[in-house]
Amino acid sequence: MGFNENQTATIQGAEPVVSVAKPELINGSHAVIQSLIAEGVKTIFGYPGGAIMPVYDAIYDYQDQVNHILVRHEQGAAHAAEGFARITGEVGVCLVTSGPGATNLVTGIADAIIDSTPMVCIIGQVASHLLGTDAFQETDVMGITIPITKWNYQITNADEIPEIIAKAFYIAKSGRPGPVLIDITKDAQQKLMTKPFVHKKTEKLLSYHPRLAPKDEQLAAAAKLINQAKRPFLFVGHGVQISGAEQELIKFIEKTDIPAASTLLGLSSMSVDHPNYMGWLGMHGNYGTNVLTNQCDLIIAVGMRFDDRVTGDLSRYAKQAKVVHIEIDPAEIDKIVKADAPVVGDAKIALEMLLPLVNENNHEAWKAEFKKYDLIEDEKITQPELAPTTEKIKMAEVIRTLSDKTKGEAVIVADVGQHQMMTARYYQFKKPSSFITSGGLGTMGYALPASFGAKVGAPDREVVAMIGDGCFQMTIQELGTIAQSGLPVKIIILNNNFLGMVRQWQQLFHQKRYSFVELQNPDFITIAKGFGIDGHTCAKREDLHASLDTMLASDKPYLLEVLVEKEENVFPMVPTGACVADIRLE
Amino acid sequence: MTSYTICVFTENTIGILNKITTIFTRRRINIESLTVSETERKGISRFTIVIRHESRDAVEKLVRQIRKIIEVLAVFGYLNEDIAYNEIALFKVSTPIGAKPLDIETINKAYKAWVVYWHLTYVIIQKTGTEEEIFEFFDYIKPHEILEFVRSGRVAVSKSPQTLVDYLPEAEWEYYQ
Repeated sequence: MGFNENQTATIQGAEPVVSVAKPELINGSHAVIQSLIAEGVKTIFGYPGGAIMPVYDAIYDYQDQVNHILVRHEQGAAHAAEGFARITGEVGVCLVTSGPGATNLVTGIADAIIDSTPMVCIIGQVASHLLGTDAFQETDVMGITIPITKWNYQITNADEIPEIIAKAFYIAKSGRPGPVLIDITKDAQQKLMTKPFVHKKTEKLLSYHPRLAPKDEQLAAAAKLINQAKRPFLFVGHGVQISGAEQELIKFIEKTDIPAASTLLGLSSMSVDHPNYMGWLGMHGNYGTNVLTNQCDLIIAVGMRFDDRVTGDLSRYAKQAKVVHIEIDPAEIDKIVKADAPVVGDAKIALEMLLPLVNENNHEAWKAEFKKYDLIEDEKITQPELAPTTEKIKMAEVIRTLSDKTKGEAVIVADVGQHQMMTARYYQFKKPSSFITSGGLGTMGYALPASFGAKVGAPDREVVAMIGDGCFQMTIQELGTIAQSGLPVKIIILNNNFLGMVRQWQQLFHQKRYSFVELQNPDFITIAKGFGIDGHTCAKREDLHASLDTMLASDKPYLLEVLVEKEENVFPMVPTGACVADIRLE
Repeated sequence: MTSYTICVFTENTIGILNKITTIFTRRRINIESLTVSETERKGISRFTIVIRHESRDAVEKLVRQIRKIIEVLAVFGYLNEDIAYNEIALFKVSTPIGAKPLDIETINKAYKAWVVYWHLTYVIIQKTGTEEEIFEFFDYIKPHEILEFVRSGRVAVSKSPQTLVDYLPEAEWEYYQ
């Protein structure tokens, strides 16, 4: 690539979408909506306000083409767009106003960048002549969001709108996906464009070209390590779902017979029924997968970034193993764990290209080692959790019962905390793209808005939000959005009247000094009813099956509160600073 | 602590400096000097950033993170031996009537510095060179009383015969792309 080849930022794509409905010059706001439609957007999650009113005026004319979902707080719009993006693989779109509208989005944008979620946020801004004057609802949104966006841009001229929106979608979705923010001044929304509206999809940029097909020599080096390995272990990361590599992954695993385990965001990319699926990795992952990470001779990491919740103490993490790292973001290579054979590229293409290079193999004995640990974990943790002798309901039995009733095929949206870890442990995912949760940022309040975003993206699938009583109260107002839009999401609150994960840490590491973790909760069912949403509280084990059946049978939104054991702990656990092999069972 | 020079080529747009510096800030890496100007190619800016760091590994990671900025076309990290580099400094030196006169011959011949402005009571001397050379001259001229001193950021070009056009952005640091 040379710098003199092309000085323009975008190189135009194939067939431009030219406005035929309105051949006269249109204003910036209409250009925004027409560009979104040209990019295939059918749903926008948003909230109006002063600086974005011209766009809201325009959207009024396009209600037959674009479904606008009015959230109750901008954070809800961001998480809903994330839920939509995570289930569909398409770009989620938010539309909000300047100042507080924009700052309320910030948590969701930060969540999207760390979990590689494609999102375009369109934000109103004060008129360009007011920029920098501390005008009403003016905030330096560009400055605030630089560290948490894949790209951000401020539009002050209506003529720029189609090109910048096209660029935003291309950047958000290509390579390692992420959030893009477009800040549009009010005058740019109001002014007429000086030229006819033309929307050309961006297909290439001068300064950004993610590599999709890995280099042959990288594939050859990786294949050599894979073919030599006696105890190889494959890690399924979020990249498998993002690139749609589920089938390629299975072909690769079935040819090589390599055992596999999943990161939190990799869950559901491989069915729990697959004989090579060994479980979940990391802090609350399975016993065998963690212990044997330190006994394998090769790690094949596919689309994952060795988060500290996966690795535990790095100085004692898989030191004996060589590492093949398949990853689309070159900055992730060697960032945490040194790769002996880096493979930079898209996971799906990389696995496809690797397949003919790897030998058929049989790893029965090696796989059997995982089973030994499974038996111990089953006896010490899983069985007691699933068939408790205590009076109170345990989280695990709720989740496993739900898993059985939905045949492991529902879309599960988990919030953050103990219930999230329990969901990851006990829901038996059998269908790809079925688990949505805030992994990297750990954003409490994520699940309720993300669940209706997911329902919009997958209207034919059962979507169940698993939420703790603490998390629920962070975005509880989104019940209003669910009620108004009539999206039939099912909400389960696992209520232990505690901020359970913090309480668990205080019990284990702070001598049971329970510092501000006990919650005096409202009557959730009355609140739901106030929003017009049906609900029921399940307090007894005998009632659990019937409660879940009623919830699943409903064709409307439904809230099920389950009163669970107050002081349960999530085990196994690799405490912070410990080594994966030192995973605790109690 | 080793000195590293990071050259960043970017599209010349508003806010790009902020996008680059936030990557340093987040990793608590201090910028020792920074120079920005447009290159021989219109619309392309060149940042020359000097940092000190004990870990080459950390600097390589930093370089990769900078490369992720959409507007960035290329990033190169260099050790001092890889580059030709210079800085420029201006000294406003007091020359009151009756004081010991400046030794212009030494200033010119030994220190390769030049008087660029004369005033009745002071002169402005321009000195080009490395940081060390500039501070050697600083020590020499100090007895005359320095009224004002300013030193630019570093400018640097690679000693490699290849030009930018020949490079893939990743070439200098064994980049995995």
